[in-house]
Amino acid sequence: MKSTLEDIINTAVSDKLTYQQKLFNLANIAERLVDPKKILGYSEKEMAYIEKDMICDLNEGYAIYRPRYIVPDYMAFLKHGCRFLDIRPPEDLEELLDNLLILYHHVPSITSFPVFIGRLDLMIDPFINDEKYDYIRIKRFLNHIDKTITDSFCHADIGPKATRAGEMILKAIMELENPTPNMTLRYDKDITDPDFSQKAAEACLKVSKPSFSNEKMYYQDMGEHEIVSCYNALPSAGGAYTLPRLRLGTIAHSTSSLDELLNDKLPDVSEAMLSMMDKRIKFLVEKSNFFESSFLADEELIKKENFTAMFGIVGLAEAVNHILNMENKDEQFGLSSYGDEIAHKIMKKIQTIVNEHEGVYAERTNGRYLLHGQVGANLCHEDNFNTPAHRIPVGDEPPLPKHLKQAGQFHKYFESGTGDLFAFDQTYIKKPQAVMDIINGAMDTGYRYITTYLENTDLIRVTGYLIKKSEAQKVTDGKAVLRDTAIMGEGTNQNARVFERKIRRNGL
Amino acid sequence: MQEYLKEKSAVMDCKAIVNKIIHFSNVDGPGNRFAVFFQGCNARCIYCHNPETIGYCMDCLECLEVCPQNALSCVNGKVKYNEQLCISCDACIHKCPYHASPRTKIMTVNELYDQIQSYKPFIRGITVSGGEPFLNHNFVIKLFKKVKKESNLSCFVDTNGFFDKDEMLELIDITDQFMLDIKSIHKVQELCGVENSHPIENLEYLLKKSKVYEVRTVIIEGMDAEETVATVSSMLKDYPDVNYKLIKVHTTGMSGSRKEMIKNKIPDNIKMDQMRALALKKGVHKVECIL
Repeated sequence: MKSTLEDIINTAVSDKLTYQQKLFNLANIAERLVDPKKILGYSEKEMAYIEKDMICDLNEGYAIYRPRYIVPDYMAFLKHGCRFLDIRPPEDLEELLDNLLILYHHVPSITSFPVFIGRLDLMIDPFINDEKYDYIRIKRFLNHIDKTITDSFCHADIGPKATRAGEMILKAIMELENPTPNMTLRYDKDITDPDFSQKAAEACLKVSKPSFSNEKMYYQDMGEHEIVSCYNALPSAGGAYTLPRLRLGTIAHSTSSLDELLNDKLPDVSEAMLSMMDKRIKFLVEKSNFFESSFLADEELIKKENFTAMFGIVGLAEAVNHILNMENKDEQFGLSSYGDEIAHKIMKKIQTIVNEHEGVYAERTNGRYLLHGQVGANLCHEDNFNTPAHRIPVGDEPPLPKHLKQAGQFHKYFESGTGDLFAFDQTYIKKPQAVMDIINGAMDTGYRYITTYLENTDLIRVTGYLIKKSEAQKVTDGKAVLRDTAIMGEGTNQNARVFERKIRRNGL
Repeated sequence: MQEYLKEKSAVMDCKAIVNKIIHFSNVDGPGNRFAVFFQGCNARCIYCHNPETIGYCMDCLECLEVCPQNALSCVNGKVKYNEQLCISCDACIHKCPYHASPRTKIMTVNELYDQIQSYKPFIRGITVSGGEPFLNHNFVIKLFKKVKKESNLSCFVDTNGFFDKDEMLELIDITDQFMLDIKSIHKVQELCGVENSHPIENLEYLLKKSKVYEVRTVIIEGMDAEETVATVSSMLKDYPDVNYKLIKVHTTGMSGSRKEMIKNKIPDNIKMDQMRALALKKGVHKVECIL
């Protein structure tokens, strides 16, 4: 969405934003002041779809100067150091952690903070030689990240193998109870030690992380990849240029039948979004000089050839509910097998359109952009009517066993990531193995990603990122807070009632 | 009436009256489990928290009068239950003079297995409970045989311990693990209204066969809790994997008359600590106190 000069003034004088948040917001406003028709060549039709809220560009901006998600090859950094930063390969744990904190400062993204900070356990484990003091260092390192990378889209990976470093990281995140970094256990039940995964499940209940990604499934689809930002699976040493999203609920509401949606509106809007993605990527690669001026590219910590783009969707639930309503069916998405059929028709249509499109500068993914179950945002009124990805709206959730089966059937479409989350009652803290049974079942039935948290914890997952409910309350009370994600989370909760997710107990 | 009971009760080998199913339970054995609660119990414990699972519906129709949702109706003289209308307010089971419930289902082994099958990826096993599952032993044997033939799910039985092991050898043989109550050593008759029972012999037999997952004793004053805990603990000391759960009796959710019966028998937390210490002193490896 385009910005105005008034946005600049409002941001500058805000009494709720920190200095740093104002700075980044002003930069973002500047990117959106320029006319996308002039700088990127967006057509009138493409602009109209943005203005009608059917396509959302997530405020990525139009004077583009860096890819949305950057996934550096930290192993190469460890091995070779960095000429630009005059850093040599580390010789001990302190040097390693210091080097990483320095590099994080220089990894751009849409948030201006790194969305991926590496496979921490793999990097740290070779340097462990004093469990007591090394634990203190690791805990301090993680705390430093939380207080300086003030945006919880920052993501660390661990696993799939259990390591001493991995165990220490799990212990530290439980003690720290920090929102950042977000974290994923790359889980493969044939590789991950059951004791380690059970500890991870316990941590996930207590501090909402790590989540569990399906290592086998993602590896099969993506090869060398990392889990970044919320739960995005992206190529290693690369990333994603851009992520716009279709608001399927809004698009469906402009139609009066499934046929019109599938054969008229959906192809037209999807083609428009693909065209906009092409234009964005061309500008970024051919005109912005990002890859020419970045030392990350120069020193091959990232390679242009490893970038792709993400085609996001939200509001599958509302799209299906609209069609059910049009057809006078007294059923709703999540509890209706006919509704699921409609959902598959919609997703297959989008999948075909996206796969048939010849993307630009996307050789790593065979010239294709990748479908993504986007977690939602709070950018306009229509976001009240577009539930994240293919999720069932809060308040409509069926009992857990039925919900698990319903949600899992849609994961296959989203190669660059989707995920489901379930809140459990206190009884599960005594039975993390019951949570692992559910996670194992999810992975066996095609889930890419699953996560959980315990009722009554302060630290919870909003949609894909973590915030503290107490911080969100400060935002509600009009106070400034450290992390921009607390502001986003508060807004999302006002819309989607994510703090009121159904608490699962006794199989309900 | 006897004929009617036969039709509805455990005598049916291929059918059973099911009071409730919890598709995902995290409290009925290890991991995530499919738990089946049968109708009908051979004990009348004074602290029973699910008295509506004890008896069988006699179609007296008294429950129809109290259902605020009209979820219960009379068809050919029998109670018919409409699950869609029910809001689980429990007015019917509080009214029932027979310690029964109109919300039960008569299910076949295949019907039950179909449900288990559909959640198989997410569970590690099934647990049959009650009521008292031994009353449906022929049904349970058939169910477990089917489960074992078609899956690798574990099969657990949660029992009150009041059964004749010599008559139950086939069920014991096919069951992976038992969770059983040892309610009292000398006061079983007073506490549970059961005569000539042999729970300690049953426990000993099952321990020797390595078939015990958990033993439970509800701690209630005046019912020889000390001797019960001491006796069970002496038996468990050589079985480090077996959990001994000590549960403080409580009145939450109980009917008024039951509350009255036990209101002076609730142990304090000091007593619970003493019971835990006793179990540990006698050599039990895993003691869990539920306060």
